[in-house]
Amino acid sequence: MSRAMNPWLEELQRDIEIRGERRVRIEIASESLPALLELLRGRAGFAHLSAISCVDWIEDGEFELVYHLWSYELGMLVSAHTRIARDPGVYLSVYDLYQPAAFFERDIHEMFGLYFEGSPDMEPFILTEWHGPPPMRKDFDTEAYVENSFQWEEYQPDWLQELQEQGGGIARRPGEIR
Amino acid sequence: MRPENYQARAHPPSHEYELNFGPNHPGIEGNYALRVRLHGDRVVAARAEGGYLHRGFEKLMEGRLWIQNIALVPRICVPDPSPMEVCYALSVEALCGIEVPPRAQWIRVMQLEMSRIAAHLFTFGGHAATTGLYTNMFWGVADRDRVLDRFEELTGGRVYSIFNLPGGVRRDLPDGFLERLSGLLDYLESRLEDYDELFFRNRVFVRRARGVGVMSQQQALEWGVTGPNLRATGLAFDVRRDDPYLVYDQLDFDIVTEEAGDALARNLVRRGELRQSIRILRQVIERLPAIDGPVRAPIPNPLAWRVPAGETYTRIESSKGELAYYVVSTGGEKPYRVHVRGPSSMHAVQVLERLVVGSRLEDIAQIMFSLDACPPEVDR
Repeated sequence: MSRAMNPWLEELQRDIEIRGERRVRIEIASESLPALLELLRGRAGFAHLSAISCVDWIEDGEFELVYHLWSYELGMLVSAHTRIARDPGVYLSVYDLYQPAAFFERDIHEMFGLYFEGSPDMEPFILTEWHGPPPMRKDFDTEAYVENSFQWEEYQPDWLQELQEQGGGIARRPGEIR
Repeated sequence: MRPENYQARAHPPSHEYELNFGPNHPGIEGNYALRVRLHGDRVVAARAEGGYLHRGFEKLMEGRLWIQNIALVPRICVPDPSPMEVCYALSVEALCGIEVPPRAQWIRVMQLEMSRIAAHLFTFGGHAATTGLYTNMFWGVADRDRVLDRFEELTGGRVYSIFNLPGGVRRDLPDGFLERLSGLLDYLESRLEDYDELFFRNRVFVRRARGVGVMSQQQALEWGVTGPNLRATGLAFDVRRDDPYLVYDQLDFDIVTEEAGDALARNLVRRGELRQSIRILRQVIERLPAIDGPVRAPIPNPLAWRVPAGETYTRIESSKGELAYYVVSTGGEKPYRVHVRGPSSMHAVQVLERLVVGSRLEDIAQIMFSLDACPPEVDR
């Protein structure tokens, strides 16, 4: 067992980058991340999961997940980066280790469409009445969505028609403004 | 879903009923809702429902220039906007390696502490109102307005100041500003005794708030609680002290803690923090005139500003707890990704859902205000 772990630990050592006095960056393969978090929490006292951030690297076809962990004892913040395939976009929940993960995983599921197996609650929270694609993905274009889903309303009240008869009116139509 | 997390959805017994608490309710901070299940007036279960204030800031920021986002970020948390600006500015500076001039750093600290005072006054007022003590609410809002007067003088904006740019602050202090700020602090200090009489030693409040919404230190750590709510369980942790930014390491202030972890303790921590903020501002007034120099580091043409590729996680202590920005740049004119970690994303969802269980219906509002949960921060 210990011999099997050695290459993993050696690899880990290569990927640790010290950034400043209280900041450490770790790049790790997705299959090793839960083990790393377990180690950090259990052995090094990183009790506080500050956040889980998700970045959509659409050109690489990957999602990057970043786990920001703080240790109250060491006074140090570790950011563990991992990448998973954008398709099918499934990963493991770390709720067993860190309860705050439930909120962040639910949020990422909602905004990026990434599914976390074992997370206690994957129901919509913010976008309860939203039926479109996950909006934080890079291929979701807000302006195009608005263009396709809504129409400009015709606005022709009497006073405006009177103005137009006198040669006035709206200087630029909505389409021209954009 | 793993089997250990599976919970059978129990059919509600006939003596229980569901109540929608919010989204438009005087006992809720902002627009937010709790769906509570009650047995008599006792809460059996609660579920937070957000999204009423979702404006999609994170997506909007990806479509705007680095400098344009300055106008967006303070809107993420309405009662306490300055930390949002400073945290965003610190992130961009970290990516670019910009050294902020010392004078600008001191002015930022001044704004942050002014904002903290304003936010705490607002929260006391709100909490007092949930226990029926409306005088304190009116006083708190009125005194907060005096702080906003100073913000208006300094920045031109009462609530959203849009004053902290990457590189420093927009302008230097107006003439005589520090004297007027000092006058404001004298006034606030003269009011503290009144607030104690009216609110913190008020029997109605103390009897209502003691033992309500109790969490132990272990629970607080497990649930990701930060800021005054964590300090109310006895852990002396403050980002300003333990992970210092700006010039907080040169300032002298105490970390206020309480042991009980209930609604009363959380308010007493904020009461102490108000005093500490006044203490910090006194030091700023004393030392700022001696610090000369520019208030802004030179930055490239902001309309064609390409921030070097990289990523940074910047966190600061807002009045509500740990606030953090994860900012990713690919070297473009716009951010590739901005993730906002508002402290209330823990307090208003998981923590609130757990703390209200077992309490009575009339205490839900108190628990929410004692956690100082800020829904716009959750929804973003």
